[in-house]
Amino acid sequence: MANPRFEAQLARFFYRPDEDVGAWLELAPEIAEAGEVAEELPEEFLAFELGAEVYAVPIGAVREILKVPAITGVPRVAEHVLGVMNVRGEMLPVYDLKQRLRLVDAPQRVTGPTDLPRESRVVLLKDPEGDAGILVDRVQGVVRLPLSKLEPAPNLGADRRAVAGLGRAGGNLYILLDVEAALA
Amino acid sequence: MEPFKVLIVEDSRATREMLAAAVDLAGGVEVYTAVSGFEALKVLPRHRFALIITDINMPDINGLELINFVKKNPNYRHVPLFVVTTEGRSQDRERGLQLGASEYLVKPFESETLTALVQRYLKR
Amino acid sequence: MAPPRALSEFVAEANEVLETLAHDVAVLDAQRGREPEPDLLNAIFRAAHSLKGLSGMFGQERISTLAHHLEDVLDALRLGKVLASDALLDAILDGVDVLTLMLREASGEAPSDETARRATALTETFVRLASGGQQTAVDVLDEVGLDPAIRSVFTEYEEHRLRENVKKGIALWKVRAVFSLDDFDQRLAGLNATLKPLGEVISTLPSSQPGDETSIAFDLIFGSPRPQHEIETAVQTMASVQPLTNKPVRPRLVSEPEPDAPRTRPAPRPPVFASDVSSPELTPLSSSSPSGVMQGAEPSLRSLAQTVRVDIARLDGLMNVIGELLTVRANIHRLADVARQAGATPLPKLWGQELQKEARALERKLDELQAGVLDVRMVPLGQVFDKLARLMRRLVRQSGKDVHFEVSGGDVELDKLIVEELSDPLMHLLRNALDHGVETPDRRIAQGKDARGLIRLKAQQLGNQVQIEVGDDGAGMDEGRIKQVAIERGLVTRELTDELERRDLLNLVFLPGFSTRKDVSELSGRGVGLDVVKTNLARLSGLIDIDSRRGEGTTFVLTLPLTLAIIRALIVGVADRTFAVPLNSVTEIVAVKPAELRTIERREVLEVRGQTLPFVRLSRIFGLQELPVERHFVVVIGLAQERLGLAVDALLGQEDIVTKPLGGRLKGVPGIAGATELGDRRAVLVLDVAALVEELKRPQAAVG
Ligand SMILES: Nc1ncnc2c1ncn2[C@@H]1O[C@H](COP(=O)(O)OP(=O)(O)O)[C@@H](O)[C@H]1O
Repeated sequence: MANPRFEAQLARFFYRPDEDVGAWLELAPEIAEAGEVAEELPEEFLAFELGAEVYAVPIGAVREILKVPAITGVPRVAEHVLGVMNVRGEMLPVYDLKQRLRLVDAPQRVTGPTDLPRESRVVLLKDPEGDAGILVDRVQGVVRLPLSKLEPAPNLGADRRAVAGLGRAGGNLYILLDVEAALA
Repeated sequence: MEPFKVLIVEDSRATREMLAAAVDLAGGVEVYTAVSGFEALKVLPRHRFALIITDINMPDINGLELINFVKKNPNYRHVPLFVVTTEGRSQDRERGLQLGASEYLVKPFESETLTALVQRYLKR
Repeated sequence: MAPPRALSEFVAEANEVLETLAHDVAVLDAQRGREPEPDLLNAIFRAAHSLKGLSGMFGQERISTLAHHLEDVLDALRLGKVLASDALLDAILDGVDVLTLMLREASGEAPSDETARRATALTETFVRLASGGQQTAVDVLDEVGLDPAIRSVFTEYEEHRLRENVKKGIALWKVRAVFSLDDFDQRLAGLNATLKPLGEVISTLPSSQPGDETSIAFDLIFGSPRPQHEIETAVQTMASVQPLTNKPVRPRLVSEPEPDAPRTRPAPRPPVFASDVSSPELTPLSSSSPSGVMQGAEPSLRSLAQTVRVDIARLDGLMNVIGELLTVRANIHRLADVARQAGATPLPKLWGQELQKEARALERKLDELQAGVLDVRMVPLGQVFDKLARLMRRLVRQSGKDVHFEVSGGDVELDKLIVEELSDPLMHLLRNALDHGVETPDRRIAQGKDARGLIRLKAQQLGNQVQIEVGDDGAGMDEGRIKQVAIERGLVTRELTDELERRDLLNLVFLPGFSTRKDVSELSGRGVGLDVVKTNLARLSGLIDIDSRRGEGTTFVLTLPLTLAIIRALIVGVADRTFAVPLNSVTEIVAVKPAELRTIERREVLEVRGQTLPFVRLSRIFGLQELPVERHFVVVIGLAQERLGLAVDALLGQEDIVTKPLGGRLKGVPGIAGATELGDRRAVLVLDVAALVEELKRPQAAVG
């Protein structure tokens, strides 16, 4: 069966349309994105507020922005895990970043939108370890941060490891979140 | 030009598809497959086949019986018939050829062999 | 090499063929000592043959070569050239094993020298065994004057079957039937089924005489000792019957067949089989196998082409969709209810009633859909039973004990995932039965027992559950020794054992590190013990119970849910939270007043019908608020052999749920199996009962 023509033919025969699931379609833009990333550095970030501070994560790391759904508390997990939410049938954890980053003293108890101000949102982040939502006080929108002007994180002590760096645009300061560290 | 219709009778799924691929490669053909002798008996009257390729060892009727049926039936007896089988047993092979099979291919064989044979028999 | 897709196609089909082969070989093995069923032998031969051809076409030479030698042996066997000796059957069993290993290697597993070595040795054995053939001197078929034209379409095997019939003095008939082209296959199957009790259908020939466009004639070559009129009566108007041969078949042995023994083999014939292990009354393995290999009119591999293989993950996907639909259904019901009740004016009220009706119709269809998808996941237990039977027979032979191994219920179906997980635990229990249960023949005789022991593997479906029993008629378990060992190993204190009932004493064998054997035998004592069996079962939400009588034997009873995908759950409230408890691990629900609780060593217990159970508050183990209650609802959990009372604040109802894992980062939360959604889309946590029971057994855990 060395004949490549034959091989192609075989591949065609063994091809089953039912195997052709949407996964490829979904993957495609990502692959394209990844390709671009190499040449054109990422500069779009989603900016959101946690208390009085403004944080940002690369747009590529955001899966979607949700209105605060019902959140079910999970026993026996770290305090900064608010619980799980149901995103169209998928059960995903929601993290309380303010607690995690020690922006507040006491953990807040959140079971759903009624416990929070109207502008609150859950930002669903993509992550290889499992996607997860973070509760934010307000989403500001997309900002362009010139990569060349990003600053390294100032040394604020060993426990401030969730800050990846700082960015400035239009006179505002954005704290770049190290997603992996923040969710750990 | 109408494509030649070729019927493949073979109960193994993977082998059937492989044979179909090899036949298809001959060009100008339309491949029909049957998973058993019975199914072959059902499709035979519905199409004018230019070539039949059958396995010997099948669950319902054996390939020899199918050859006999085809070769004794005035409606089909002109249709060339290849036996494609793992049956190396010489007695069965002789019988197959006696009954009127045109070619007897013993598996495994190179799929190019089948492609070439199909082209030879279906030359326009 | 074939392209990857073709390779996976090959592996899939080869796997199916091997499964069929393994199943049939197991049946053959169970019939050791009897003359093998011709249909069965032929089916096995055909499977080996298919495998040879298939693997040859896909360039899998190793498999093809071994299958080829196996086929040769089987061919000689079905043609009556060699005897079904023990050595031969063992080699065939081994062949199936090695082929399975080679297929795994073909599909990417690292090749092992051991497999290669076994294959080489087997090839030699096969060659040696197949060459033992002898040729029949006079061809009896010539003697009976068979029409050469008919004879020319027979394969060698069909000729052999003809010969066998002639040799026995069984007359040959030509049964002719004309059927419509549309449904001749069903009609033929019907005719076959009618003829089968009267004799053997040797061949089915489509008649070469052209009929009209819409019909087709068949000649069935049929061997039967019955008189013509009897066959004619049986087939009625379906077909006509004529003698096939122009000379009468001379019966060589006069023996009147018994009325209900179709293929009676006259006793005085020299046996074509060699026997030394089994007796003829052995029951065939799972004779009611769903594939119909044994009882169907056509032993056939045809189903191979008519099945669709589906990745189990896709079924899980479908299951999730159904789970979501169940939620939608619940919502519609709720809306309908609201509309009906809030209907101050007639219109919404009527509308609500209509909606309610439609919702019920939806519900019925959903139930069907759910049952349908569940059904697709179901596979017969026979798949593991066959494998176990093969291993067991080998172990029995090695053990030097005389054991009759009986298998039944292979047709009982279970979720594929469960079936796959069952083989190790069952094997362990079977090994134990052979190793610890059944005594040596001498000892059995000394005790007035039959020298031959019995080990039984039996499955049956009981409602939504399947019960599997592994039983032996051996020595039974010695609770005195068990107690002693448990104390020696420091697994329990003497004081504690004094309080234990016999039943609980027996349950000590489920503790990790328990083994009463002093010398570690080859068969068992390999580290995996009954504790692992229990853990595995608990993972499948199964129960395990021991029934053991001294001197009479031991039976382990496993109770399993039919499926794990959609489960019925009890919805409970604790503090302000809601949890789902899988009902298949709930044995009962009771209400107790706080005053009825007792403590033992400061741990709370309660009594349920004479049994004392640990009492555990879910609120406490999950660190939730403990509400003062007038009475506790206690959900009694039964898992493996553990029982436990789990106290909750409220019982909210039952639901069909699909458990989903908590997103990657939370998957390891102890005591939580996942989450599901109920009517309002809120996630509800599903308890991992097995893990809870396990953790509560640990000494310090009970306080939470
Ligand atoms: N079928 C049986 N009949 C009698 N005793 C048994 C049987 N099965 C298990 N036992 C007892 O239970 C003990 C624990 O079994 P197991 O955990 O499998 O360990 P092992 O087989 O290594 O001893 C055995 O040592 C034996 O005493």
